[in-house]
Amino acid sequence: MARYSAQVVIIGGGATGVGILRDLSLRGISSVLVEQGDLAHGTSSRFHGLLHSGARYAVKDPVSATECIEENKILKHIAPGCVDTTGGWFVQLPGDEVDYAEAWLKGCETAGIPVQEVPLREALQREPLLAKEAARVFEVPDAAVDGFKLVWENAKSARRYGGRYLTYHRVEAILREGEGVAGVRGENLLTGESFTVEAGIVVNATGAWADRLAASAGASLEVVRDKGILLAFNHRLFHRVINRLRPPGDGDIFVPHETITILGTTSEWVDTPLDNQPTGREVERMMALGKALLPAIAGKRVIRAFAGVRPLHRSDSELAGGSDGGMGREVSRTFALIDHEAEDGVKGFLSIVGGKFTTYRLMAEKVSDWVAAKLANDVPCRTATEPLQPELPAHLSRQAKVLLPCAAAGKMLQRLGQDAVPVLEAIARDPGKGELLCECEMVTVAEVEKIVADEDAHHLADVRRKTRLGMGTCQGAFCTYRALPLMWREGGKYDPLSEELVRFLNQRWKGIRPVLWGDQLRETELTRAIYAGLLALRESGTNGDGGTLCGMD
Amino acid sequence: MKGTWERMHTQIQSGEQDGPLTERTPEAVGDDSLQVETRGLTVEDSVHLDACVKCSICTAHCPVAQAYAPFPGPKSIGPDAERLRLEGVELDPGCLAYCTNCKTCEVVCPSGVRITDMILRARRRQGSTGTESAEGWLRIRDHILGRAEYLGRLGTVWPGLTNAVLAWKVTRRLLAKTIGISADAPLPEYKRRFFPKKGSAGNKVVYFPGCFVNYNDEATGLMVIKVLEHNGFEVVVPGFHCCGVPLTANGRFREAEGNARRNLALMEPYLEQGIPVLTSCTSCGLALKEDYPKVQVPVAKRIGVQTYDLFEYLWLLHERGELKEDFQPVGLSLAYHAPCHLKAQGIGTPSLRIFRLIPGVKVEELDAGCCGLSGSFGFKAEKYELSLQIGRHLFQRVRQGMREGNFRAVITECGGCQVQIRHGSGAQSLHPVWILAQAYGLAGKTE
Repeated sequence: MARYSAQVVIIGGGATGVGILRDLSLRGISSVLVEQGDLAHGTSSRFHGLLHSGARYAVKDPVSATECIEENKILKHIAPGCVDTTGGWFVQLPGDEVDYAEAWLKGCETAGIPVQEVPLREALQREPLLAKEAARVFEVPDAAVDGFKLVWENAKSARRYGGRYLTYHRVEAILREGEGVAGVRGENLLTGESFTVEAGIVVNATGAWADRLAASAGASLEVVRDKGILLAFNHRLFHRVINRLRPPGDGDIFVPHETITILGTTSEWVDTPLDNQPTGREVERMMALGKALLPAIAGKRVIRAFAGVRPLHRSDSELAGGSDGGMGREVSRTFALIDHEAEDGVKGFLSIVGGKFTTYRLMAEKVSDWVAAKLANDVPCRTATEPLQPELPAHLSRQAKVLLPCAAAGKMLQRLGQDAVPVLEAIARDPGKGELLCECEMVTVAEVEKIVADEDAHHLADVRRKTRLGMGTCQGAFCTYRALPLMWREGGKYDPLSEELVRFLNQRWKGIRPVLWGDQLRETELTRAIYAGLLALRESGTNGDGGTLCGMD
Repeated sequence: MKGTWERMHTQIQSGEQDGPLTERTPEAVGDDSLQVETRGLTVEDSVHLDACVKCSICTAHCPVAQAYAPFPGPKSIGPDAERLRLEGVELDPGCLAYCTNCKTCEVVCPSGVRITDMILRARRRQGSTGTESAEGWLRIRDHILGRAEYLGRLGTVWPGLTNAVLAWKVTRRLLAKTIGISADAPLPEYKRRFFPKKGSAGNKVVYFPGCFVNYNDEATGLMVIKVLEHNGFEVVVPGFHCCGVPLTANGRFREAEGNARRNLALMEPYLEQGIPVLTSCTSCGLALKEDYPKVQVPVAKRIGVQTYDLFEYLWLLHERGELKEDFQPVGLSLAYHAPCHLKAQGIGTPSLRIFRLIPGVKVEELDAGCCGLSGSFGFKAEKYELSLQIGRHLFQRVRQGMREGNFRAVITECGGCQVQIRHGSGAQSLHPVWILAQAYGLAGKTE
C-alpha cells in the first residue's frame, strides 16, 4: 500500500483542482492532488474553450461579468501560450430584442468590459460566413483557451514548487478523525494497489461528483448536473468568437479553437456525471440553432460531437435573487465555497463547486486563502501575476523552425514547453523523427515518442490530450495505428496494446456516431476499412484479443 | 542530392527576428487586422477543405514527394496545413516552394479537392516575393525566372549572341554562383522571335502562342498556323503577353494577374463573338481554362469555355466531320509523353487520338510520370538535381525504348517537357503538330 502525506489533499484534477494545487504550492503549503482519470479529462476539457470576456453575463449576472473580465486579463498575462486572443463579437440579428443591446452595453460598461461597434460592411468582410442580415456587431475581448494545455501547465508549475499529483487514483473514502478529516484512502487504478494520503485538510474539487464525495464524509451538498453538448467543426469557420447579442441561450456561440470551431451549447439536467453521450436529436437541434449565425452550417463538416456536465451549485441554479443563506456559503453567485465545518460539522473539509473555466484561478485563490488561514500561512497569493510557463529561449523557436519547416513548430513549442528540448534534439539526430505521425494536427514522431514515454501518460487518450494526436479531421484513422509501435516500445506500460487500440478508437467513435453524414461519413468508412478490414478488428473478439469496435463493424 | 531538412528553411536566413512564440495569434501576424482576414475562406474553399478525407492518394502520386523525402507532399502542405493556416500558423515558404504546381494531386484526388489552389493561395498570402528563396540573390533569380516574356524579348533581339553567351561555361558558372541558376540546367535556346504573317481570310480562331513559341520555338508556332490554315481557318494572333504561369510559379502573383487582365482585354472582342482561343502549350492552356476565369472582369467567364488545346480543337472538328483528313502515310515510330498540365485539363490525350487517324504512325504512350522540369523549377540550382530525380522514370523509359529501337523521338506538347526530355535522355523531342504537318504534307520530312 502506498502512503503519502501532506498538509492538504485535493480531490479532482480539473482546472479548479490543479489551480488550487498550484496556488497552495506557490504559498509553500504541501499538497497532493488525487484524480481518478487523467488531468483535464472531464468537464475542464468538455466545454467550448471560451475564455469569457464577461460580456455574455453583462446583463443577467454582473458579478460573473466582472469576475470574468478580471480573470480574462490575468490569464492572457499568465498563460499566453494557452490563450488565443481571437477577440469576440456579439452579433444582433433581425428579430433580436433591440432594447437588450442597450442594457448589454450598459452592463459591459459597468463591468469594465471594453466594447467597440464594428461597421457591418467591415464585419461581413472579416467574417464572410457570418449571417448577412446581421443588424449590429460589437467587439469584446473574448478569447479561446485550451483546457488541456492550461490544466497541464498548472500541474507542471505546481510540480516545480513541490506540488504532487496522482492520476488514475480513485478516492474511495475520506478518512475521519474525531470531528475532522484525516486524509483519503483509495485505489491506484493502474496497479490495483490501495493508497492513502494523510492530510489534515481535504479539498473537494470533484465538480460533477462533488455531492457524492461530500456525502461519503457525512456532509451535505447539492449539485445540479447540467449537460451541455458541443459540436466540433472540421476547421475554423470564424476567426473570432461569435456570440448572439440576446439573453444567452442554446446553440448561440461559436468558438475558434485551435484548428477547429466549436458550437455550443445546451443545458439539460442529468442524473450522473457519466451522462456525456451526445445524441443525434441533440446534434440536429444544435445544427438548427447554429444556422441563425452561420447560414451555411448545413454544408459544414462536423467531425464530432461531445458533451460536458457542468457542476452547478444548487443555490446558483435558483432563480435570480434567490437567497444563499447559510454560513460560509457564497463567495459569489457564480461559484460556491462550502466549509463543511460550518455546514455539517466536519472539520477541515471544504468543497468548491460551480463557477466556470474562465474563473478557475479565482476559485483556486479563494480556496487557497481559506486553507492558508486554517494553516496560519500568510504568504500572499501569486497566481495572478506569476506566469504559468517560464518563457522559452528564443533560440529554441529558431531551432524548431529550422528543423521543422513543414510542420507547426510553434504550436509544438507551446504544447511542450521545456519538454521540446529533447524532442528537438531527437529530430536533429534523426530527421526521420520530424516526420508527422498525426498529420491533421501536425504532431511529429519525436513528440509522440516523448509523450508516450512521459510518466504521466498511461493511455493513448492521455497522449492525445497532451499532443492533439487524433483530434483532427481523420479522428485517429491514421495516427492511432502509427502510435502503437511507439507504445509497444515502452516495455509493457500500455499492455495489452490491442485493448488500448480499441479503447481509443471507441472513444473517437463515441463522438463521431452522432454526426455521421456527408464527408464525415466518408471519412468513417475509410477508418472502418482500415481497422475492420485491414487490421481485422471485429465486433467480438475474432482478432484473438477480445477487441471490440462498437458498431464499427 | 542532399536530403536535408534545413534546405527547405528560409525564414531565418532572411533575417526573421526572434520573437515570442505567438505565431498563432492574429496580433502576431500583423497589426493590420484586415491583412489577417485574408486568411478567410470563401464558401467554396471551405467545401474543398471539408471534402478531404485524408486518404493520401495525392501524396502517393506527387512527383516531388516521391523523389524527395523531406517534402511532406500536397496533402500536408495543402489541406492539412490549410486548417492550421486558418489558425494563423504558416509553414516555411521555402517548404511550400517545393510544390511545382504540376497539379498531379488534383488529377488524382477522389474528392475533388483543389489542392494546388490552396498551396498557391498560401504562397500568395505569405507575400512570398521576398521569402521563398533564402538569400537576396536567389530572390533576384526568382524575379528573373518568372519573367519568361522579358527574357524572351531580350534573348530574341540577337538570339545567336544570347545563345553563344549562355553556352559559355563561365557564364553558367557565374549565373550559378551569383543567382542560383543551375550551371547544368537545360536553359532553352532562343530563336528568332515568332512573328506570324497575316494569312488568308476564313473562319477566325485566336492563337495564344505562349512564351516558348514566341521566343524559343517560332517554327512550331508557324506550323500551328499552317495546320489551322490548311483547315481553312484565319488565325488571329494578338500581341499577347506571357500567360502568367511562370510568374505564379516564382511567387509573382500580382503580376500574373496583371498579365491575365491584359491578355483578356486583347481577347475580349474575339471572345464576345464566340471565336475560340487555341493554345499549343498545355500550361498556357491550363491557365486560360482555370485561372483566367477567376479574374474579376466580365469577359473572364467566357475564357474558360472558349479555350481549347490545339489537338482538342482538331478532334472536335474531326467529330463534327470538319477536320481535313487528307493524310499521307507517315511511317514513324514515336513515343508520347503527356505533360502534367495536359492531364490537369481533363481532356485525355487528344493528340494521340488524332495520330490514330494518320496512317503509318505508331505511338507508344510512355506513361512514366512528370519530367521534373516544371517550368523554371528545374533551372534552380538547389532543385536541379531533384528535377532530374523526379524525371528519372521517364528518362529510363525513353532511353530503353530508344535502345530497343521502339521509337526515335518523343512527342509532347509542352516546350519545357521537350527541353527536359532532351536533357535527361538525349532523345529528340518535339510538338505533335509536326507529325500532323507531315501527314498534311506541310513540312519537310520530320526527323
